[in-house]
Order: sequence, then C-alpha cells, then structure tokens
Amino acid sequence: MDMIRSIIDAAGRFRGVLAFAIVFILGVIFSPVSYRTGHSTFLNWSTQNDILFEYAEYGILAAGMTLVIISGGIDLSVGSVLGFSATLFALLLVGYGWSASAAAVFTTLTAAVMGAVNGFIIARFKMQPFVATLGMMLIARGAAKWISGGIKVQPGAREWYAIKSGNPHIFDWMTSQTALLNLRPITLVFIASIVILWIVLRFTRFGRYIYAIGGNEEAARLSGIRVGSVKLVAYTLCGITAGLAGICNACRVTLGDPGEAGMTYELDAIAAVVIGGTSLSGGKGGMFFTFLGTLIIAYISKILSLQGIEEAPRLMIRGALIIIAVLIQQSRKE
Amino acid sequence: MKPVKTRLLKVLFLVGIALVSSLFISGCGQKEAKKQFVIGMSQCNLGEPWRVQMNADIKAAAAKHPEIKIIWKDAQNKTTVQQDQVKELVDLGVDLIIISPKEARPLTKPVADAIDAGIPVIVLDRKVEGDKYTCFIGGDNFKIGEEAGKFMVKLLGGKGNVVELKGLMTSTPAVERHEGFLKGIKGSQIKIIFSADCHWLEPDAQREMASALARFPEPDDIDAVYAHNDPSAHGAYIAAKNEGKGREKRIRFIGIDALPHEGIRYVKEGLLTATFQYPTGGAEAIETALKILHGQKVPKNIILGTRVFTRENVDKGGQPL
Repeated sequence: MDMIRSIIDAAGRFRGVLAFAIVFILGVIFSPVSYRTGHSTFLNWSTQNDILFEYAEYGILAAGMTLVIISGGIDLSVGSVLGFSATLFALLLVGYGWSASAAAVFTTLTAAVMGAVNGFIIARFKMQPFVATLGMMLIARGAAKWISGGIKVQPGAREWYAIKSGNPHIFDWMTSQTALLNLRPITLVFIASIVILWIVLRFTRFGRYIYAIGGNEEAARLSGIRVGSVKLVAYTLCGITAGLAGICNACRVTLGDPGEAGMTYELDAIAAVVIGGTSLSGGKGGMFFTFLGTLIIAYISKILSLQGIEEAPRLMIRGALIIIAVLIQQSRKE
Repeated sequence: MKPVKTRLLKVLFLVGIALVSSLFISGCGQKEAKKQFVIGMSQCNLGEPWRVQMNADIKAAAAKHPEIKIIWKDAQNKTTVQQDQVKELVDLGVDLIIISPKEARPLTKPVADAIDAGIPVIVLDRKVEGDKYTCFIGGDNFKIGEEAGKFMVKLLGGKGNVVELKGLMTSTPAVERHEGFLKGIKGSQIKIIFSADCHWLEPDAQREMASALARFPEPDDIDAVYAHNDPSAHGAYIAAKNEGKGREKRIRFIGIDALPHEGIRYVKEGLLTATFQYPTGGAEAIETALKILHGQKVPKNIILGTRVFTRENVDKGGQPL
C-alpha cells in the first residue's frame, strides 16, 4: 500500500505533466485521418504549430495571470485590456498611420498603466482584487469602444484613416511562418512571455516575494517585504502581457474589434493557470505549470474541434475537466 | 481517510476520461463509412434561427445525394475560431468548403489559403474581400427592401404613415433594407413618421413601437409598420396589442426573413400582413457544390431572388418576385 501511495503522491507532484501526457495520447488516438493523405491530422508538426499559434493569446494572458494568482490575487480585467489594446494598436497603425514598433510600444505602455492602476488600487486601498479588476474590466471595454467610436478599426472604416485598404505589413508578418521551426511570431511572443516570467519568478528576489506574499501576506509584511510595491509590479506585468496579447489579437484578426476581442478570455486564462496546478489560494504553483495548463486546454479544445463535437458537450467536457483538475489538486494538499 | 479519498478521486478521474472517450468513439463511428465527396461546412454561429435554417437547408439538400458527406463546424460567433476551423478543414483534406463567414476581412486569408491548397470554396451570405473564392451565393437585401416598399405602396393605396423598425444600422443588411425600402416607396405619398434602430431584437422593437404609439396616439395616426426582420415586426404587434386600444387590428405589419417558425407562422396566424424571404442559399450551395465537384463551370456570383408570403399564398409556398 505504501508503495502505491508513494506512486500516487509522485504522480500528484507531476500531475501537470501526467495530465498533459494523457491528453496528448488521447489526441493521438482520437485524431481524425486526413481524407487526402490518410495521415493523422493531430500528429504532425503543422497541426502542433497551429495549436501553439491559435492558443498563444490565452497563453500570454495566463503567463501574467500566474504572477497575480501566486501572489494571492486575481485579475479579471485582462480580457478587456486585451480588447482595448487590440483596438488601440489597430487605431494607431491603421487610423493614425504610426509605425508598427511605435504603435506596439505605446500600446504595451498603456496596458501596463491599466495593470498598474489595478495594482495601485489593490495595494493602496486594500480593495479585493476581484472587485478592483472587475471595475477595470468595464473601464477597459468602455475605453476600447470610446477610442474607436464603437466600430471595428480596419482600413477604410472611416474616411480620415491613414490606411485605406490592404493590411499593414505587421499583420501579415506576425501570422507568417518564421525560419525557426515554422513557428509564427505570435507563438514566439507566447513562448518568450512564459520563459521571461519563469526566470523572473524563479530566479529573482521579486519572484520569491510573490510566493511569500501569496503564502502568508502578514508574515511577508512582518519580515520586511514591501507588499504593496510587489503587488503593484505583479499587476503591471499582468497588464503588459494583456497588452501583448492584444497586439497579437489585432494582427490575427487583421482589425481591432472593440466589442468582441478578448471577450471572456480572462476565464480561459484563469482556467489554464488552475489546470496547470497553480493554487487559486496563492503561494503555490509556477510558470511551467501554466505552460502545460495552456497546452492541455489547447489540446482538449483542438481534439474536440477536429472531431466536430458540438458546442453543448464541448462546454460540459471542458467544465468537467477543470473540476477534476482542481479536485486532484486539493487531494494533494491534505 | 486519505486512501478512501484518493481512490474516490481516481474513480472520478477515470469516469471523466471514460466520458470523454465515449464521445470520441461515438464521433469516430460515423466516420467509418467513407463516401465519395466530403464537404466541410463552416457556419459562423448557430445562435440565430436564420443560420440554423441555413444548416437545415444544406442538410436537406445533401440528404438527396448519398455520395455527399458533410462535416459541420460552428464557430460560436468567434472570428478566430472560424479562422482555425477553416484551417482544420483544409488539413482534413475535404473536397470542398462551404463557408458563411462571420466577417469579411479576417476570413479572406483563410479562404484564400484553402483555394491555394486546391480546395474550392463556396461563400454564403456574407462576402470575403477580393476574388479568391470559387463562388458567392447570397440574397439581395436592397431588392428585398425595394419589393417591401412597392408592396407597401400597393397595400396602403399610395398614401399613409409608416413606422420603420430598423435592424442594427451599423450592419450592411439593415442599411440596404432601409435604402431599398426608400426606393420602393419613392413617388408615393407614404411617409415614414417614426423610425428607430432595434438591433434586430424583438424586445427592442417592442419598446420602440410603444414609444411610436405614445407619440402618435390617434387611432389612424399609424397605418403600417415596416420591420427589418420578423421578430421586430412581431414585437411591434405585441406593443400595439399591449396598448389596449385595439390598434393592432388596424395597423398592417410587414417583416423580412420568412423563417418557417417565425415570419411564416406569424403570417399564417394573421399577425403579420406579409413577410419577405431572405433566402439562406443552403439548397443552392449543395447544387453548386455538386457542379463544382463534377468539374462543371459555375458563375462567380449567384444572387438569389426573394419570395413574398401573404395570408393568401402562404400555404402554397409564397410567390417569387
């Protein structure tokens, strides 16, 4: 019995990896076969590359969200900040004719300010993160509709727009395949976000403080950590990832959609973090888990989509899997 | 305690996996019988009854041809999901793709990629940009609006006050249904005395119609309502009925779309005077698909006509215009 228990225990520790492996194998087994070539449509690099591309926006959001969740907080505004950033980026590029780099920098900075406002309100006024970021969620969505006048920002949509037709070059470039394993730039932004924030979390003092605050905020404060500043930085980084995801979204959709871009994305980002194994109560988890969590959600969605499963069972399966993932997580804590 | 709980969790986990697997297997079972032609159908959302009808029309038309197998995709009204699904259909190597795009611009490239991969694409209802598609099939909202206008002139004897309940005016169909109507009533003495953007929604139309009734309270102030879709026309009828003055019997209500469970039923029940069909093009899509698959030439653009349904002709399937 002891041996079995230790196996389960070990499996529990690596449940992220285990779940990932299970999902991957399911994907291989249940992948439909191409009508033309007769090969599996799941087990080839092109499909894998597509998955990394299609779910990159969720992954980028989840990377920033991981910092916030480990610190014991939550950020509901990322979906709307994504929508705002996509709209702003498209407006600067298409409407005002800015260069791609200037538009990207300005957009990211604006998103960072939105994240910083979240962090400031939470740290300074001790407001519940849920409430503060809920407010920002509405503000960012409203701001997106305000700057765009409520219409989708695309070439020729308004008379004064600088670009009348055709795609800005950055849109095509961000979705084109690079020489590096055919990975697209959007995928590379996703991987870079994960790697950079993994380093921040793992190897810097700031990263250790985040764990300490999430584990026990009062103890962290008493041991001299400036809790407010650390939280401010965590929410700012989360805002930056939302900004980057917004830029990726605008490039992918080839327009800035103030109404729908990023709608409910915050929930998928939170789900990716939780499925990976990061605890919502804070203090536990990591960036690598989030990477796996994103891939698990992406694989499940892709398999269901390739199989042509309808929306109703799809939602139920995804919901059930989130609950199962968290159940397993709780079993380990006792 | 712990072993019991972990065992319970393991069972739960296995049940979950079994559930997922059974769904896959049931999905796989249908795939075994491989047919001659595989058509992928990418629908932008199945939340609107009109789109459900489009899928039903395609299904009914395909049922007459056992050599056709259809793979259905529903993008749940998300542009990015529809982009991904078109790519999946290309990867799956289907013989032909039918797509009803959510939005022109973002889907232009996925459709062009499919053409580049050698897969013909039929675009339904909403266009994509450029000309990299095989065939476009759609209705003509301007013509439908114009026919509705002409019908209105005849109905009211060339003179009267009309309330116009518009669809979402930032969308092309609503603008075309409005402009077509104006052309249809041109030269007559029909006046639009009240108009409002009802966003295609029945509750909004009911609210706006109540305002119109309040502003024009005399029995013969309002002669007719022109609504850009049937739910709005129905909402207007309900508003007139709720007013309690019996004006719903005098005012004529005209709608657009003519879906079996909406407009056509309302006409049968005598709530609407007429409804104009906005064709889904589902049957025509399958017809065109077969021609393409058999190597015949098809026109680049197919514009579908409309039908009017009134109390007199509704049981005979309406009258083509």
